[in-house]
Amino acid sequence: MNAKKNVTHKTLTGWARGALLLAGAAAISSPALANKANDTLVYASDSEVENISQYHNNLREGVILAHLIWDTLIYRDPKTGDYKPQLATAWKWESPTALVLDLRQGVQFQNGDKFSADDVVFTFNYVVSSESKAVTRQNTDWIKSADKLGDYKVRINLKQPFPAALEYLAGPLPIYPGAYFKKVGLDGFAKAPIGTGPYKATSVTPGQGVTMVKNTNYFKDSPQGQPKIGNIKFVIIPDPETRSAQLMTGAVDWIWRVPADQAESLKSTPKISVQSGETMRVGFVTIDAPGSSSPNSPFKDLRVRQAVNYAINRKGIADNLVRGGSKPVYTACFRTQFGCDAKVAINYDYNPAKAKELLTAAGYPNGFDTDIYAYREREFAEAIIGDLHKVGIRARLHYMKYAALQVEYRNGKTPLTFQAWGSFSMNDTSAFAGVFFKGGSDDITKDPQLRQWLEAADSSTDPAVRKANYSKALESISKQAFMAPLFSYSTFYAYNAQLKFQGYPDELPRFYEASWK
Amino acid sequence: MTTISTSPLSGSPAGSLLQATLKPVPLWRRKLNRMLGHRGLVLGAAILAIIVLAALFAPLLAPHDPYDQNVAQRLIPPIWNAQGSWEHVLGTDKLGRDYLSRLIYGARVSLIIGCAAALISGLIGTTLGVLAGYFGGRVDALISYIITTRLSMPVVLVALAMASLVGGSLKVVIILLGLLLWDRFAVVTRSATQQLRDAEFIAAAKAIGASTPYILVREILPNIMSALIVVITLEMAHAILLEATLSFLGLGVQPPTPSWGLMVSEGKSYMFFKPWVIVIPGLALAILVLAINLVGDGLRDVNAPDGRN
Amino acid sequence: MLIYLLRRLAIALCVAVTVSIVSFSLLHMSGDLATAIAGPESSAAQVEAIRVQFGLDRPMVTQYMDWLGKAVHLDFGKSFYFQGPVMEMVSERLPITMKLGGIALLLAIVVAIPLGVLAAIYRDTWLDRVALVIAVVGQAMPSFWFGLSLILIFSVTLHWLPVAGNESWENFVLPAIALGYYAMPAMMRLTRAGMLDVLGSDYIRTARAKGLSKSKVIFKHALRNAVIPVVALAAVELGFMLGGSVVIESVYSMQGLGQLAWDAISRNDYPVVQAVVLIIAMFYIGLTFLADVINALLDPRIRTR
Repeated sequence: MNAKKNVTHKTLTGWARGALLLAGAAAISSPALANKANDTLVYASDSEVENISQYHNNLREGVILAHLIWDTLIYRDPKTGDYKPQLATAWKWESPTALVLDLRQGVQFQNGDKFSADDVVFTFNYVVSSESKAVTRQNTDWIKSADKLGDYKVRINLKQPFPAALEYLAGPLPIYPGAYFKKVGLDGFAKAPIGTGPYKATSVTPGQGVTMVKNTNYFKDSPQGQPKIGNIKFVIIPDPETRSAQLMTGAVDWIWRVPADQAESLKSTPKISVQSGETMRVGFVTIDAPGSSSPNSPFKDLRVRQAVNYAINRKGIADNLVRGGSKPVYTACFRTQFGCDAKVAINYDYNPAKAKELLTAAGYPNGFDTDIYAYREREFAEAIIGDLHKVGIRARLHYMKYAALQVEYRNGKTPLTFQAWGSFSMNDTSAFAGVFFKGGSDDITKDPQLRQWLEAADSSTDPAVRKANYSKALESISKQAFMAPLFSYSTFYAYNAQLKFQGYPDELPRFYEASWK
Repeated sequence: MTTISTSPLSGSPAGSLLQATLKPVPLWRRKLNRMLGHRGLVLGAAILAIIVLAALFAPLLAPHDPYDQNVAQRLIPPIWNAQGSWEHVLGTDKLGRDYLSRLIYGARVSLIIGCAAALISGLIGTTLGVLAGYFGGRVDALISYIITTRLSMPVVLVALAMASLVGGSLKVVIILLGLLLWDRFAVVTRSATQQLRDAEFIAAAKAIGASTPYILVREILPNIMSALIVVITLEMAHAILLEATLSFLGLGVQPPTPSWGLMVSEGKSYMFFKPWVIVIPGLALAILVLAINLVGDGLRDVNAPDGRN
Repeated sequence: MLIYLLRRLAIALCVAVTVSIVSFSLLHMSGDLATAIAGPESSAAQVEAIRVQFGLDRPMVTQYMDWLGKAVHLDFGKSFYFQGPVMEMVSERLPITMKLGGIALLLAIVVAIPLGVLAAIYRDTWLDRVALVIAVVGQAMPSFWFGLSLILIFSVTLHWLPVAGNESWENFVLPAIALGYYAMPAMMRLTRAGMLDVLGSDYIRTARAKGLSKSKVIFKHALRNAVIPVVALAAVELGFMLGGSVVIESVYSMQGLGQLAWDAISRNDYPVVQAVVLIIAMFYIGLTFLADVINALLDPRIRTR
């Protein structure tokens, strides 16, 4: 009887799977998948950027757009890691706090304006000023000002020696057209952005997406090469299953952040390619150590913070939920970042019993109620909540958009948050630990000793001194359990099999490299 | 049953025996008989009773703790699938929690919210409706105006906006729904009271000097009770569906509390490949609401048997 | 009749004003507006400057009158999140929601009225019971679940219709069914009740006695009278659909007004929420008034009041 039942079950399941695959295949063979024929690449992601200007949003979606529409002074080759000339042709440290750059001649902005030193000077002086209302200060705080030394020569003045400067100049610091920006202002710029990059934005629809067209005048000597695909369209689809469904029906050509379960199923779908890999992005829980979120915040007590670290099953989440190469993380940095010393971190193993002991010792034998805020991967947040619930920390979930969460977090109102940080793909501990512990707006711990060590590390040009200070800071963060670093993200890309696409561990899809097969 | 001859034997001993056996059946007994004869009502009441009992005895019935998550055992299919097992009869959800246990405990959330919200909105609506129906004139005009204003506000949107301000939770949902769902109570009790206002027994009560509160509570209320009970059941169902919608959108009951609406929302990511994750809680919701609606409709039919209301 | 209508119009206007007050307070309950506009990086002085610039230091009543004045001209200010005019975002999304509501209503009517008529004619037969069962079951299913189930059956398994979006007419079929199904039972019941009412009335019996054939009697006289309250209800249901579309639009990822409101709520973009609530309420009030007018025009009893 059992054998018969099993056969029936297997047959039924088989039929169900077959039906779905058939549906998927039928979907894809329909003429809707004409995007290669239209030479239009449609890519979808989950979050909209509130402002397309790279200095006014903190989202990865913004970084992708920035690399399509604008260029930076320096280009870091993702395959070799070398710095190559992009808008700047040469650079030299005049002094530890002054960097002089020679600029490329003959480059045009997408509206015809000629690129020159005026634009570089304008961009940097504008973003460091308070009127700009920039939200990415952690990327530009090291800059004091920029001076024009000639039509194609500038000097960037630093507040203090900052060895990671080149890394930042090659990353999230695009160059804006000075004259145009002054004419239309930030609002106008956000609606009709202009840059020197391989793609020009033809329309920006808030909440829906961005359409871009190939910049046929893109300067021939760019280390990025010339763009191949004629049109690119970015659409916002918040639900991961809708994104998958749109991919399967051909309405969209490329998606990412595919939940691991869906990725498994998509792998077996014909005409869709799936790529995966570990990334530099780290998921972590921030903890309100100073207790600003409520008068008698339990998190002021070290034992409670340690309990949070012992309560969460990092390996379980990494292996079963995130998958694709995800690994547990115990440091306030990613292991490939310069200065990230894994040896000094305490590896809080998964130990709910110990967590309960610590809570009881801290005076919470029956646990306590609190709040946790999150804006992404609700599933991971729920797993974390479940783990905390088990030891008695009953955290209520506040799930909201990133901009809203950032306001609450920066104002010190959040006891716990679940966030992820990709360090803007910069391989330097300053891009992670510095952001959250050096006194910037994302630093809620406000520990003066940490600040001192991190500033010393960031401003010395001697790598040994830098490493020593980073180690001290990371050790303290771990011992004091100021945060609970959890796991590294993997990402699953799924895309139209007719597309030639290469993903990199820095989590920056380079559509300007992509082409049709 | 003994055959009864219809000869007029009232005076004789046989006659008084006849009288004794033919004692008039009391009203409540007659109503009960009518209710038991109404198939929809009986069916609805039976289903409702099962669900209520399941909710009450959840700790005894549920095989596991609904909060017990085990990420290594995610998304195990139910027993009728090849990979299912008796360990988790209805499988596990995306965090490895036992589905059946969450289903049973989810009934609690739905029932608590249904009852509490219906109670609060019932209190508000009945008060407004009775006052409007009894006093008429300016009071009626004012209350009718309030009702119309409330009807013009899109309930779901206002509930969402309010919930996002204070954050979703069981308490918040109950209060919000209680404050928003009173309109039908007001409308129905108002028209029922209006019909009673000029009745003789009210005039009689006034004549013997009964105070207004007394009349309202002791005379009017019991007589509109039948209409009121119908509305209570319908609004309970309404509240349950609205909570499910709010939880589905993320602003109702928060995880890890089991709520059927939340379970559908949680299962949405997998519905293409593992449809049971949304079919089961959705079906549970539909059955519960159906049962309540059957009871409500049945009660309405029993009290106003010409089938048109 | 004119007096009746004028009275209803006056009430509608008063209700509109009240709703606008409620909607206005939504915005101001959300916390310090000046800080929200200025952004998290700003200093206290900048926040103060913003407060003065936007007139947030004036008394509430003045602010309300100012807002109301602008709202009447359809100027709802700028979104907190996107820095663009709210009205632009609204006018992009409104047609989609209207289209969805209109099609949903049409579907509901096309099913409800014939079903109700048949249920009335063949009262207490299996047809009547089936219609009642459909009605009762229709009201028991959560709309989001029904919507998801439709996707599961018709998009994923049968692949007859697309999953999400709002480009072509095919995208509207499933959401319209999901949205309209909820309105159908009430209209069906009303039709049935109305038909039963009219079929048993003296008027119809007289017509029958005159010798008019049965179907003529039904379709000419009875239906017309029975349909009056249904049309009025339909107008009201359309109003409900506009308000309740947020769920369906969320399930089908349609860029309608409901989805806009939902997005705005989740990122605390209160000017947008305020505008959407007000606009939907205005539509509802307008549609209810329309229902009153229809009632007055078609029902001879009201006409002579």
